[in-house]
Amino acid sequence: MNVIVLILTILFAGAALSYFAKKITPQASSVVSFVAILSATILFFISGKPDAVNFSLGGFNLEWQLNDFGYIFAVIILVLATLISLYSISYMKGMPHLGYFNSNFMLSVASMMGIVLSNDFVSLFIFWEIMTWSSYLLVIYKGRQETSKIGIKYIIFSAVGAYAMLTAIVLINARVGTTNISEAIELGALGAENILIPILLLVGFSVKAATMPLHVWAPGAYSESPMSFTALFSGALSKMGVFGIAIVFSALMLDLEFSVSAMILQKIIMWLGGITAVVATLYALIQQDAKKLLAYSSVAQLGYITIGLASGTKLGVMAGLFMAVMHAGIKAVLFMAVGAVERQVGTTDMTKISGLIKKMPYTFFATLVAIIALAGVPPVGGFVGKWMLYETLITSNSYFLVIVIFLSSTAAFLYSYRILFGLFLGQEEDNVKDVKEAPLTMVIPMVFLSLFLIAAGTFPGIVFEPLANGMAYLGYVDVNWSMSMLQNVWGNEVHLVSISTTIGTVFVLAVIFITLMGYKNTRQVSTQDISTSGEIPWEHENMNYQQDFFKPFERAFSGMYKGDMGKFWVELGCALGSLANFVRKLYTGNGQTYAIYVVSFLALLLLIMNK
Amino acid sequence: MNDILLTILAALVTTIMAFAVGMLYGGIVRKLTARVQNRVGPPIWQNFIDLLKLEFKTTNIHHGLMSHLGPVWIITAAVTTLMFIPILHGGMLLPGFSIENLTFKGDLIFLIYMMTFGSLGMALGAGETGNPNSAIGVTRGLSLMTGFEIPFVLALVSLMIQYQTTSIVGFMEIQEQSGTWMMFSNPFAFIAALMASLGMFRYSPFDIVGAPAELASGPASEFGGKYLGMMMSGGSIFAFIKLVLYVDIFMGGAHNIPELLLKTFVLYMVPVFYGWVNPRYRTEQAIRWFYKWPLIFGVMAIIWAIF
Repeated sequence: MNVIVLILTILFAGAALSYFAKKITPQASSVVSFVAILSATILFFISGKPDAVNFSLGGFNLEWQLNDFGYIFAVIILVLATLISLYSISYMKGMPHLGYFNSNFMLSVASMMGIVLSNDFVSLFIFWEIMTWSSYLLVIYKGRQETSKIGIKYIIFSAVGAYAMLTAIVLINARVGTTNISEAIELGALGAENILIPILLLVGFSVKAATMPLHVWAPGAYSESPMSFTALFSGALSKMGVFGIAIVFSALMLDLEFSVSAMILQKIIMWLGGITAVVATLYALIQQDAKKLLAYSSVAQLGYITIGLASGTKLGVMAGLFMAVMHAGIKAVLFMAVGAVERQVGTTDMTKISGLIKKMPYTFFATLVAIIALAGVPPVGGFVGKWMLYETLITSNSYFLVIVIFLSSTAAFLYSYRILFGLFLGQEEDNVKDVKEAPLTMVIPMVFLSLFLIAAGTFPGIVFEPLANGMAYLGYVDVNWSMSMLQNVWGNEVHLVSISTTIGTVFVLAVIFITLMGYKNTRQVSTQDISTSGEIPWEHENMNYQQDFFKPFERAFSGMYKGDMGKFWVELGCALGSLANFVRKLYTGNGQTYAIYVVSFLALLLLIMNK
Repeated sequence: MNDILLTILAALVTTIMAFAVGMLYGGIVRKLTARVQNRVGPPIWQNFIDLLKLEFKTTNIHHGLMSHLGPVWIITAAVTTLMFIPILHGGMLLPGFSIENLTFKGDLIFLIYMMTFGSLGMALGAGETGNPNSAIGVTRGLSLMTGFEIPFVLALVSLMIQYQTTSIVGFMEIQEQSGTWMMFSNPFAFIAALMASLGMFRYSPFDIVGAPAELASGPASEFGGKYLGMMMSGGSIFAFIKLVLYVDIFMGGAHNIPELLLKTFVLYMVPVFYGWVNPRYRTEQAIRWFYKWPLIFGVMAIIWAIF
């Protein structure tokens, strides 16, 4: 049997099996889904490059094949899905509807694999719809009142995206007579001369990548789904949008000469990415709930990725893809960590918890690494992506966009600190006194991914290699990369090994110094034991600073917090409604009115013909 | 083997020099400020005395691993950044040591990010102490950073696009060849960066993080003893780094130590002088300040660079 068919069969069969496995015990359903994903992953990695599968369906030739570009995303999906499903065994323990959850989880993994394996638009669209529906069913998993509202938002935006994509596919087929992706690109169907096709495709893909102004569904959907799915949702599923955007843009950019309309589209998309990054960051840092905060931050990060892909330069596309890989790791770790906190403490409201560092040290470690990567501070992987993005923009005449990005990444420090402080630091509250570290199956995936993030900071070459192959497949020639050195087009370099060794050496020396110096006089006291001056405290009271954490910042930027994209869509909906209402009035149901329409239409026609 | 030893020696000498100069400048400012306020003031080596006192305190208290490591992060960031900045012309650390340091292995974008490494680590340490005031201080510091980073980056980006390089060594060479300092070849960038430096050095009116004399009672400062000592050293090195960075980029770098000291001292007096005549801002005022004239000058710098 062909490997591709086998992998997809395992995943889809796993979806069905895990639904029925809950009849044995609910826990069995989670185990089945983990085993199925694990075996698909192992099969994927040991089987080498599989052969293509061709068959015909309804007059369309479908082709499934693993190409170099799809390989990047297939690895992201499979590795994340394996780790998250392992995590999910403990996380979902004792929750209702496990069969429903696991089979939909498996379905979304399977359909994502289908998307990256598709070499034609028809099967891509079919898998895309399966992915949308299975993720929708997981968004509404909790079944509360507000959950269904969020679910409807998500499905409406996805439906709009799907219609746009379908229209584009029909147009492509009408124009070049094929739905095969690489053939269509070769024949110039995605080129600049019929700009409508790329625009429609971009609308379809951008919905999943949550780019402004199509991001409205994302914060709610990310924070309402069970965290073990959100880790996959934000980590891998949103990358399907990135996958599509990268294909569309590379086809557009490499299409012979830059045309004016392609240039304008590129600028618009880049600026939309920039605005997404800033606005979502500003909203992320005023959130009280850790899940909401991460959800907004996820939207912001996808803004950076979009900019990189849309820039069209080699370094920029590399930066976009690299950040996509990093973001998959970062957001998977963070959502898993927040899920662990939610499971162990019962809430993710940062005003209610604090001081978890001593209770959940491994979760803290993983979160810390992921946050450093998110903030883009060396020597962890996030820095590499940020550096490449800045250098791209500076060397390719996007000066003001650089500033916008800098504002958003400086402001990102604020929410990065917010989440670390809100959950793990500060004075210990009484409600966390008896909290224990999450079970091992939840800790291992987080720590594993965070170690990968550290490694990618010094040796990004391990990620660059598949990315360069993927870019070569997309048509970029001579993509340079090296194991641990970054270089821009002006020839300026950054040597990551030197950086890491310097940081490491100084850090170790300083730790030894501060530990040994006055070792006997040093003692550790609890966080509730703090010195007070000028007054005598009667009894201990906690003084946690959590409410309105960044109020001064909010005041300084008060003008930026006024807009609301949600309102824009509601108003657009109302406007469409009244337009439809007007159209409805034309249909009076009276035969005589219709007769008048026909006569006046004929009269109009005659008038024009006579001219 | 000899090379490695020499490199380590050179690194040590640089670090000690940066530390000594930073501490001394701090002492001079304390003295000058006191004279301006009609006080006698401490001797200029008071900072060294303070540091010795702190290192030999008989009680050192920390609240857990992160607060134990907080000062370590700051000193790591400070020393690492120092290693990637050319102190004098030609990549040489000091006369007598003809060893290249790491300046060719990192560029400006890296340095900007490396400098935040310390603040973030420091913020973690302060956060674990459980003192509400340290968290307030951190939020103020981070908010302030969103203010001064933007004009600073605008200035740097304008120079990068004007001269097609992102490396500090490159900037120094360009100034050496053309004979003009960047503060004259792109004056708007210099003004924007100078205004940003007011926030960077955190003297009044931007002293909202330390905020001396703001707390009358309640929980006081949490870091003490050797921890405070290490933070002080790190802070002094950072002050030196920022000054050298400005001298390298805008004032043509320096060829010898006296020239370096003269240029950095003049530069250091700008935020100090400005601070003497200004009372402290509120946090939101401080942020907004950077989004008025500094931002306008930064944008003008970019326009200057394009045309």
